[in-house]
Amino acid sequence: MTRPAAAGDAPVVGALGALGAGIPPVGVLVVGYGNSLRTDDGVGPAVAARLAADSRLGGVDVRAMHQLTPELAFDASGVSLLVLVDASADLPAGEVAVFRPDGGSVSGEVMTHHVDPSGIVALARELWGAAPEVVIVSIGVSSLDVGDQLSPEVQGAVPRAIEAVVALVEERGHA
Amino acid sequence: MSQTIVIDPVTRIEGHSRITIQLDDRGEVVDAHFHVTQFRGFERITQGRPVHEMPALMARICGICPVSHLIASAKAVDDIMAVEPTPTGADLRRVINLGQIVQSNALSFFHLSSPDLLFGFDADPAVRNIIGVARANPGLAKDGIGLRKWGQQIIEWLGGKRIHPEGIVPGGVAFQLTPEVRDRILAGVPEAIAAVERAIAWYKTDMLRWEEEASTFGNFRSAFMGLVDRQGNVDHYGGWLRVVDADGHFLADKVDPRTFNDYIGEAVEPWSYLKSTYWKPMGYPDGLYRVGPLARLNVAERTGTPRADEELEKFRWRVGRIASSSFHYHYARLIDTLHAIEKIEQILRGPDILSHHVRSVAGINRNEGIGVSEAPRGTLMHHYKVDDNGLVEWVNLVIATGHNNMAMNRAVLQVARKHVKADRLEEAMLNRVEAVIRCYDPCLSCSTHALGQMALRVQLLAPGGAVLDELAR
Repeated sequence: MTRPAAAGDAPVVGALGALGAGIPPVGVLVVGYGNSLRTDDGVGPAVAARLAADSRLGGVDVRAMHQLTPELAFDASGVSLLVLVDASADLPAGEVAVFRPDGGSVSGEVMTHHVDPSGIVALARELWGAAPEVVIVSIGVSSLDVGDQLSPEVQGAVPRAIEAVVALVEERGHA
Repeated sequence: MSQTIVIDPVTRIEGHSRITIQLDDRGEVVDAHFHVTQFRGFERITQGRPVHEMPALMARICGICPVSHLIASAKAVDDIMAVEPTPTGADLRRVINLGQIVQSNALSFFHLSSPDLLFGFDADPAVRNIIGVARANPGLAKDGIGLRKWGQQIIEWLGGKRIHPEGIVPGGVAFQLTPEVRDRILAGVPEAIAAVERAIAWYKTDMLRWEEEASTFGNFRSAFMGLVDRQGNVDHYGGWLRVVDADGHFLADKVDPRTFNDYIGEAVEPWSYLKSTYWKPMGYPDGLYRVGPLARLNVAERTGTPRADEELEKFRWRVGRIASSSFHYHYARLIDTLHAIEKIEQILRGPDILSHHVRSVAGINRNEGIGVSEAPRGTLMHHYKVDDNGLVEWVNLVIATGHNNMAMNRAVLQVARKHVKADRLEEAMLNRVEAVIRCYDPCLSCSTHALGQMALRVQLLAPGGAVLDELAR
């Protein structure tokens, strides 16, 4: 069996220096991230998987990731809106909240092998002169135990999180 | 009264950890421990699962090096099925593994360690980070991101998914390579080589100012372990285990990796979830050895690719045939990356790389299997036992950060002895203790089989255990 080429498959190393040379960023990038073996922490990838098959988001780049990593800054610099879908231990279980991070200063000291959203924005701005608006869709968790199933509360929140992302994308006129 | 310093958590490493520094009555450092305080228990939660699920399940141990676990796990299941992957299947696994080496090495050097090298260990942490690098040397930061993206793309194109690829399966790989994907990867090779060679040139110029630092930066005699091929070249996928001593003499050579339990023991200390592996013939704790990029260069005669071999010659001219300072992990990591890129090109230009014979198929033919490969941080071993139905009964993972555990403790002790002179912690000491651990680029998510990401703390302790001072970031 052969695997069909994925969207956006192009040589990337050589293209890096040219990006951001006066081309206004357009488009939306949606990233659901988390650990799918830690029950509700996997809600971000679960939402992303459903969104990738949602016809209302045709043409939108949707990804599921374990964690945010620095190279996401390159892709983020080429879009006008970055939607991050993530689990939250601060919200009540099953609650879905949409917020825009304050875009304050970034402390690189917090970086390990992953990068936080402000780090992505800062890198995109520093290296390619363009950073997207960032919107975070958070879903409150019930459990972060070992397991590959979402809790019933969080499973029930998945459709609401999907609608929140679709609404954000539609606001931008991309769907 | 003796005292102890604690650093907790260590930043820019993956996982939760803590460092304690023990002082004696005269205020001199007498001991130091790198504690890993998070426990994952992956070996337990996989029990009872069908063994064919193991590669995909193991890949989810870590978001940074899933391919390493996929490769070692798939090889362990190959062993249980008593099959060899088809030649093309094995080559495609090699390419995916090398893509992993490129992207993970790039993360370690460009994003985690280059801030220390660019700004110096005493620079303000608010500047000494990847954002600071992006401002001061955007070309360096872009090269790092470019290499990571290229490596990640290889994993995605060949493995099916970028983060937790499922294209590596027992018996080989799931997908035949198309000419389009091969050519797309090859098109990126020249720029990938150029990016890493720019970094090597920058590092070689810059390293002169670190020569004194390197002399006490985890600089000690030890053995080294890695995989080599039949010609003694670096081999990231298979071959034999080779162990050399601090003078380069073989402690073991041409060891079938599946017999690693005859040579490697695992000790458990009460202060850490991270096991300490040791070379059995020398016992514990004398059997300290190191793995990873530095070890790979130390154990091999050559890398086996022309540009990397040229750099390896220069490396050995500058630091010796057996490099002993942990500081040289950085330099070695860059050469390792260059070799990986060249090797990817070599393999993809092979005549049978587009063959449709990519997978051998078999059932459960043994109740035990072992898979060994080189992960970015060093030698990775998966050992499984299954019942006759192929359900997992027992799992043991021996991972690179465990191999390096004793070496990291030794390195922390050496740095602390040089930089801790009083009953309080100072930034200069904290920076260097953290940085010497980063040389090994430990991934504690894997090593403790822990879930999630982590951070670090340093504590200074009195002889009775009282905390005299504490720093955390």
